[in-house]
Amino acid sequence: MTVAIDTELALLVDTGTAWTKAGVIGRVRGRWRLVAHAAQPTAWGEEELMRRLVEQLAASSDPRLTGRFNELLARATRVECRTPPRAARLAVVAVSRELSGSAARRAAEAAGWHVTEMVTFDDGRTLAERVALLQSLEVDAWLVAGGFDDARSARALEAAALVAAARRPGGPPVVWAGSSELAQEVRGLFEKGAATAVANPRPDARGEEPAGLRTHLQALLRQTVGPEDEERLTPVALPRAIGALAAATGFRVLAVDVGATTAMRVLAEPDGTTESRVHARGGLAGATLLPGAPGRVVRIDVDAGDEAAVADLLHNLHARPASLPQTVEELAATHAAARLLLGSLVEDGTGGSLDLLIGAGRVIAAAPHPAQAMRMLLDGVRPVGVTQIAVDGGALLGPLGSLTDAEISEGLALLADDLLIPLGTAVVCRGGEAGRVAMRVTVHRAGWPAHGPVEVRTGQVQVVPLPRGQEAELTIEPANGVTLGGVRRSPRITATATGGTVGVVLDARGVPIGLPRRADDRRAVVAGWRDALMREAPPGAERVA
Amino acid sequence: MSSVIHTVRLPVGSMPAVKVGARVQPEDVLATRRPPTDGVTLQVAAPLRLPASEASECLMVRAGATLKRGEVIARDAAGHEVIVPEACLFLGYDPDHGTALLSPLGEEEPILGHVRGKVARLAPSAIDVRVAGAVLVGVAGSGAAVHGRLRVSVDDATDELRAGAIDSDATGRIVVGGSRASAETLTRARAMGVAGVVLGGVLDKDLRDFEATQKRRREVGGGGGDFSIVLLEGYGKIGMDPGVFGWLRGHDGKMVSLFGDTARLYVYDADEPPTRRLLATPGDRVVGTRRPYAGAGGRLVRILAGQHVVSSGVSARAGLVRFEDGRTGIVPLANLEATEVPAGG
Repeated sequence: MTVAIDTELALLVDTGTAWTKAGVIGRVRGRWRLVAHAAQPTAWGEEELMRRLVEQLAASSDPRLTGRFNELLARATRVECRTPPRAARLAVVAVSRELSGSAARRAAEAAGWHVTEMVTFDDGRTLAERVALLQSLEVDAWLVAGGFDDARSARALEAAALVAAARRPGGPPVVWAGSSELAQEVRGLFEKGAATAVANPRPDARGEEPAGLRTHLQALLRQTVGPEDEERLTPVALPRAIGALAAATGFRVLAVDVGATTAMRVLAEPDGTTESRVHARGGLAGATLLPGAPGRVVRIDVDAGDEAAVADLLHNLHARPASLPQTVEELAATHAAARLLLGSLVEDGTGGSLDLLIGAGRVIAAAPHPAQAMRMLLDGVRPVGVTQIAVDGGALLGPLGSLTDAEISEGLALLADDLLIPLGTAVVCRGGEAGRVAMRVTVHRAGWPAHGPVEVRTGQVQVVPLPRGQEAELTIEPANGVTLGGVRRSPRITATATGGTVGVVLDARGVPIGLPRRADDRRAVVAGWRDALMREAPPGAERVA
Repeated sequence: MSSVIHTVRLPVGSMPAVKVGARVQPEDVLATRRPPTDGVTLQVAAPLRLPASEASECLMVRAGATLKRGEVIARDAAGHEVIVPEACLFLGYDPDHGTALLSPLGEEEPILGHVRGKVARLAPSAIDVRVAGAVLVGVAGSGAAVHGRLRVSVDDATDELRAGAIDSDATGRIVVGGSRASAETLTRARAMGVAGVVLGGVLDKDLRDFEATQKRRREVGGGGGDFSIVLLEGYGKIGMDPGVFGWLRGHDGKMVSLFGDTARLYVYDADEPPTRRLLATPGDRVVGTRRPYAGAGGRLVRILAGQHVVSSGVSARAGLVRFEDGRTGIVPLANLEATEVPAGG
């Protein structure tokens, strides 16, 4: 790779809470390419980061530039985004745990808040315990919810009174997300301007409408953690980049980013509109908080070691989020934990099939083997249908999203070849009878004889190699009772698959993945899936498990 | 002699009992508060002879307010009043029954600082105390704040703290162990009146078993003082950094305060402990933070050029480390922390 002597450079930096990723973009033979990339613990600092980038540039660039890289990087256009260094803390006070409380909590977590405490009238605490707990909290905002919109709930008003009793005058803002009938009364419990009423996420008994509350909480979060340069915050920048990518490609795109401390999902429609959620404790450090996490990790990964060791590891990920797995067991357990985190990130579904699934964050994007990244994304997200899978290997999407709309589109176009690392295409089906053929897939590649039909049995995963840059037409024949997500109008479905470092993955393991009950059987099956994805195979041959 | 600031958080409703500049001991009361007690109802509509739904118009205070004993909670147009019989929080009015929900304030409770030092700052939400000494910050912990004299109960930083090392001399002490302590050892320590334990690591399973035992004990009414645990390196069988262990040994017998919830150990009248730096350079003394070298001390011999693929398959900048236990290994730099002994230490 060569940098022209009169090259201009751009420096794209994504500063996370634990790791900082930086890429240098330069003109190479008339095209903008990623010419250097470095990732390091954020605590190592800028100077070390620049040193690494200069080393890489010196090794790969025109020798006439030797000695000038520091200067070139110093005047390079710097494009950056950052994860807020600390999670914003919020307390939820609601009437009931299952209705108003859970709706409020979900909306708050989806907006990126760390819910430090939830108090409800059915939480088993006494009144004294509730008040004492709330009076001891240190939070950045209070969220109060309860009551349907057409009713004056005395309990909902009492919930607001609890906050009024526990909050210092002039303290953090209060968000009232309860009965609209009570909004004025609740505002009157606090000093002027302290409380804001927003749309009730549980307006009636029929269902939830959390969008209004989530939007308000997202705006409040940005004011709380980074009011100065909002557009540079990753929770703002990444959705903008994904939205632009969806609009440019006409794809329905889901991006999932599992960081050291936080996790984020962005769902973008083909028109560029996005819906994003940030889970403040959804990153690897938060894996220890998942219910029964060590047991679940051991259950889904045969290489993770014993449950006690996994429990220790998950705590240590929390204690030292910037450290790296050095043993095979720790890597396997970390990847399994990431799969669990991805599962909880998309637990309420993606609202239909996806065209493109992007994995971001070090644990996915920097997985030692592309098949490991593929496995995390497939097992965690379970994208039913035919979906292109890629990773944001250079961590470029976040920084790009901090640019203006026009610049984002231009950046996406200029960096087309380096923006994403394609892993391949996944065909994931749901349903079918155990041991029976779930789908038959024939792969047609221009200039090659048709490959298949490949029979994929329920519970199996198979890989057909298809290199990066190549396309293939797939003819998929799902068996009776098997679906690829969409409405089925014909016994055959055709779709286009794009290649990648893994290939075409034919996945009939179900949604959610069905695992044998007996431990020995389970270990054998899980090991088979791992081997099918990891095994190197000559082009044209499928790998079966 | 170094000094550090310890912050004592004050819940809403607390009243400071000290002034800036005051010298305080661990058992001194820094503030007091009257905690809310369980709710009681107070008739409002009936004394005013009004329908329950109309009496709300007569309320003089808003929900959430703190009321003093004898304060008027409601007054009608004719001047009839309803007063609260004791200091309380007013939490709401029930328009169906015409009653007010109150949470009377209980007996005054002390808020202890658990540290020895000088009050440096008073704020409504916190009191800062300057502590003459040093603080060690661990990676995890559990339990309430405790204080006592330091007692090093193992010979080496990698030794496991055994139940046999907990004897009657350990009562009231903060015991320093090595690489781990089993649930049985922790239970014995608690039973022998040990105030707290400082370890390099502990198995999550042991800690959970111990906490379950303590929970059962509380449920059956077992008393006893507070107990606190702080881990300096991480979870698992992880030896303590020999440098830190040596420093603790040098302060054996000194008064310390241990805060499990924030994983802090204050050692009074102590010089600064060895510190950690995240980016190690060749020649540095380092400590590993992840398996298989977690807690092991050694010397970073050199940093390998470019990226190195370690046994997990992860590609990272790595260095060659000669460990003090005789092992030599290539370790990602992200898994090493350089230890530095402060000048004069």
